[in-house]
Amino acid sequence: MDAIGPAIEAIDVTRSFGGVRALTAGNLTAHYGEVHALVGENGAGKSTLIKVLGGVVKPESGVVRLDGEDVTDSIAPTGRAHRVGMVFQELTLFPWMTVAENLLVGSEPRGPVRLIQRRKLASLAEEALARYDVHGIDPRALAGSLSLAQRQIVEITGAFMRDPRILFLDEPTSALAEHDVAWLFGLVRKLRDAGGAILFTSHRWNEVASLADRITILRNGAHVATRERFDEDEAVTLMTGRTIDRMYPDKPAPADDAEVVLEAEELRDDVLDGVSFQLRRGEILGVGGLAGQGQPELFMSLFGARRAAHGRIAVGGRRVRLRSPADAIRKGLAIALVPEDRKTEGLMLPMSVRDNLTFAVLEKVARGGVIRPWREKATVAKAVERLQIKTRDAALQAVGTLSGGNQQKVLIGRWLLTQPDVLLLFDITRGVDVGTKHDIYRLIVELAEEGKALLYYSSETEEIAQLCHRVLVMREGRIVAELDRNADAEAIVAASVKAPNA
Amino acid sequence: MSVQGATVRAPVAQKQRRLRHGFAQNVPSILALTILVALTALYVGLFHGQLHRYPGVFEWTSIVNTAVPTVLVAVGQSIVVVTRGIDLSLGGIIDVSNSLAAVHMHPGLGSMAEWTVVVLLFGMLCGAVNGVLVAYARLQPILVTLATLAILQGLAIKILPEPGGAIPSGYSNALANTGGPWSVLYVLAIAGLWLALRRTATGVRIFAIGNDEYGARAHGIPVKRVKTIAYTLAGMLAAASGLFLAATTTAGDPAAGDVYILTSIAAVVLGGVSFLGGRGSALGSIAGALTLTILTNVLFFAGIDPLYQSFFQGLFLLVAVLLGSALGHVLRRRA
Amino acid sequence: MSEISAVGRVQGRLTRDRRRTLVAFGFAVIVFAVGAFLHRGFASWGSVNAIVEVASFVGFVAAGQTLVILVGGIDLSVPWVLNAAGILFAVFSLGHSGRAVPAVLLALGLGFAIGAVNGFCVAYLAVPAVVMTLAMNGIMEGVTLGLTKGLTCTRCNSYAPRVLQDFVHKDLLGVPADLILWFGVVLLVTVVLSYTTFGRKVYATGNNPTAAYLSGMNVRLVTTSLYALSGMFAALAGIVLVSYSGQPTLGMGDPFLFQSIAAAVIGGISILGGRGNYLGTVAGAVSLVALISLLGAENMPDYGRSIVYGVAILVVLVLFGREERV
Repeated sequence: MDAIGPAIEAIDVTRSFGGVRALTAGNLTAHYGEVHALVGENGAGKSTLIKVLGGVVKPESGVVRLDGEDVTDSIAPTGRAHRVGMVFQELTLFPWMTVAENLLVGSEPRGPVRLIQRRKLASLAEEALARYDVHGIDPRALAGSLSLAQRQIVEITGAFMRDPRILFLDEPTSALAEHDVAWLFGLVRKLRDAGGAILFTSHRWNEVASLADRITILRNGAHVATRERFDEDEAVTLMTGRTIDRMYPDKPAPADDAEVVLEAEELRDDVLDGVSFQLRRGEILGVGGLAGQGQPELFMSLFGARRAAHGRIAVGGRRVRLRSPADAIRKGLAIALVPEDRKTEGLMLPMSVRDNLTFAVLEKVARGGVIRPWREKATVAKAVERLQIKTRDAALQAVGTLSGGNQQKVLIGRWLLTQPDVLLLFDITRGVDVGTKHDIYRLIVELAEEGKALLYYSSETEEIAQLCHRVLVMREGRIVAELDRNADAEAIVAASVKAPNA
Repeated sequence: MSVQGATVRAPVAQKQRRLRHGFAQNVPSILALTILVALTALYVGLFHGQLHRYPGVFEWTSIVNTAVPTVLVAVGQSIVVVTRGIDLSLGGIIDVSNSLAAVHMHPGLGSMAEWTVVVLLFGMLCGAVNGVLVAYARLQPILVTLATLAILQGLAIKILPEPGGAIPSGYSNALANTGGPWSVLYVLAIAGLWLALRRTATGVRIFAIGNDEYGARAHGIPVKRVKTIAYTLAGMLAAASGLFLAATTTAGDPAAGDVYILTSIAAVVLGGVSFLGGRGSALGSIAGALTLTILTNVLFFAGIDPLYQSFFQGLFLLVAVLLGSALGHVLRRRA
Repeated sequence: MSEISAVGRVQGRLTRDRRRTLVAFGFAVIVFAVGAFLHRGFASWGSVNAIVEVASFVGFVAAGQTLVILVGGIDLSVPWVLNAAGILFAVFSLGHSGRAVPAVLLALGLGFAIGAVNGFCVAYLAVPAVVMTLAMNGIMEGVTLGLTKGLTCTRCNSYAPRVLQDFVHKDLLGVPADLILWFGVVLLVTVVLSYTTFGRKVYATGNNPTAAYLSGMNVRLVTTSLYALSGMFAALAGIVLVSYSGQPTLGMGDPFLFQSIAAAVIGGISILGGRGNYLGTVAGAVSLVALISLLGAENMPDYGRSIVYGVAILVVLVLFGREERV
């Protein structure tokens, strides 16, 4: 095996996006006949490194070698010549094309005069799905009409069908149920035994431990260590750069008889399925579960950005109808969310720190629609001070040029300025460096102590376990379990994947 | 979606599923065709009401000949729109092609063949320039093609300062024969070519880019090259449209193409091709182009002042868009 | 350390938008300089005055176009909104100075209302802006032609009220009154965009409508009002043009579609929305008209002008209009 040399390697690769340094020292060597796991926190640069290796993103410096050949400057070596396959974290299926077209893109069956044979395309896809033991997916359906898990399965099947020698899997299990994960692992092991090189990332340590032959840890965009085995605690220490018990602040005393400030009763629509809960003053209520089980829809419904067809929402004991976010803000709610990434739903990146901070309280710093600069300046200064946002000039510096952590602080700052009673925090630590994470955790606990009520979702279960007083576990739009403050991450995960009627 | 093994599916059920998917995935084109049929029926009815006879060979020939240039440019526009772009310069390409043909084409097979090829190549060149500016220089399609439109309009006036010139009658007869609706063959041919394009690698890639440009790149699709090809094809079809227009009118007009900027977009909209890219069929746009031509005749026979024509065209376009999105809404809710 | 931060501060103050505005003004200066080099008197007070005056017509239309482009839209209906408003203004006033004020208000109201319909369909019914405004242009063309019987109706040969004709041709303090009006528009639009909550909302919508909505903003209402303003500015241009030339003509709005978009693009307004300001557009309009005048002075034939136009836009685009690399 060693005689062949490494399948693919990255040497001192760097890359930044809009001022945020995603990768500062990306080093990795993957060999044939090996499953290589790439682990690290969110924002550690795993996805970026995989994209650089796959040729989807060009590095700013450093070298990428494929079979010993320098391919740093060649774009997308995903063609069959190199036999490199990729499954990305953000799905890349073409939504308005059929499953069959997606599976066979680039290798469609050709008839006379090289035209694609539609019928054969569908039957080939059907055969392929059966060969990979995938059932219940119609090759003629549009990819966009499938569920998240089905789409991920199609994407994985498509990658394996291309018969790659090197395969990159970026968070392939994030939307999969347990038995689908076992299916995927079977395929991966088979490819490895046939001499393939597999590089994968996962958030779930047990998956990494059970599947990987070697593990590389990244932190803050830089390579930390590569070994065959890590003790879990040691790995976490290496990933975070500090020991876990110092990462989270102490939980403040839970408030048993505190006033209920937010109450949801039987929220129900095409995704949500009878969600009810109460949120008290000073409480941090966690929302857990696998990704895409209705959590974003719940947050959006509570914020008036999505109309729940049925159900009741009460704020401060009074029943309300939330027609729009503006409505929700008036009632004392605030939302900070980072679904997928800040760019899509949170910040106006080209606009200044000032513009972003005061946007939800413009009416308070203006009179008759005209902004009073001194007033705005004072408001901005207050927020920058409290959140310790590092900016050289809040009025002029574009938010997009701040680091990821500081961007997130700006988003939270915007909502603190509205002085909300309830904060809905959706995955706000995603893609944030460890130091800022620590600041954010402290801030959350402080806010709870001040008497605010917080609803908290995170894609990292450990965070929920460490920060929250109670945890609601969601699956398929329902709350399937409610755990108390003593629940640890494993208990939450267990409740997330338990079969519905078991 | 039912969860069942792929192997135990009965062939009858399979056929039904194919039909169902086929229907669901082609709703916009089917709607476009329905509108065309309904409007044609209205035309026949109005015609009969006015003249107490049914439209004959002469009427159908005239309609088809008028429609062909619109059909051609609409298919070109569709290809660009599928990539998530737009091409306003197609009208300018028609201007220049039309003028070139009117000035340079002489009777005689040699001259006619030569200038047909030259004009088509010119159209491809213009399209390729647009494509390079959009794909390689990463400029916004609407601005690039607005600028190239101005250049082409200037060029057309340089070639043919005033409407005039002459098209050899042989050329007119070959392309736009007035003896019968033979031009419908060209419509069928372009529809066939579209279906063939759909089944080539390039066709699939054009759709993939419109679906998700980033994903297409990840799949190793040469996004820039494919985009350039799309604009080049559109340019060629616009040039063909200009030639047809010259054949129909037997003369040239340096501003003849200008109306086709709007008409081609209108046909694409009526055809249900999504401006968000990656969705729709040029068959719908062909139906849309025919619909627009019939609409002119309907307005005429309904006794509507020709001055109001663009009012009704605009209104019709708007209603069709709203109808399409309302229907999509209903279908999604039911699904 | 302090030196570095000083450099950083200068760079910081010269934001991308401000830099682009300066470039647009630089472009105008270059055109005048080249003109003065080729023709003595091209950069004289009178000549500059005349050029800027013509630019003001483009500038009025482009004010609306800028607002709409700032939220990522486009208004292709300006030619016939302008034309219809101009005709309505003349026909309603019947040339009487006494009816000038209601005629102006009526024409502006028409522009505003048509724009509001555009905006409503774009913002609330999700009709693509290109399709909506294109259809509206056709609708307005048809209505105008139909109702005026191709501008042959009995009242269609009305003139603009004398008082307004006099006004636009008058100089106030040595500056044409029309330019003072434009200056007012520039001041108003700039102040609204830079110093009001409304302006902030416009930029927020252009940069990230979802974020703006989730921050409690009524994105649709703001979008609708911008299209309404665009219609109103087109109507304003129609009124001024008719007052200037005395009588409305058919097709008088047609050149303004291309010119208003071109002025905005030269001025650094990003077609993707959220970037640029009206001062840039003003510089764009002046450069564009100066360029046309220069070509005219050079005896450039019509076709050449059109070609140079297109090439100029392409050059500006290639230099400044690139989308960011993914």
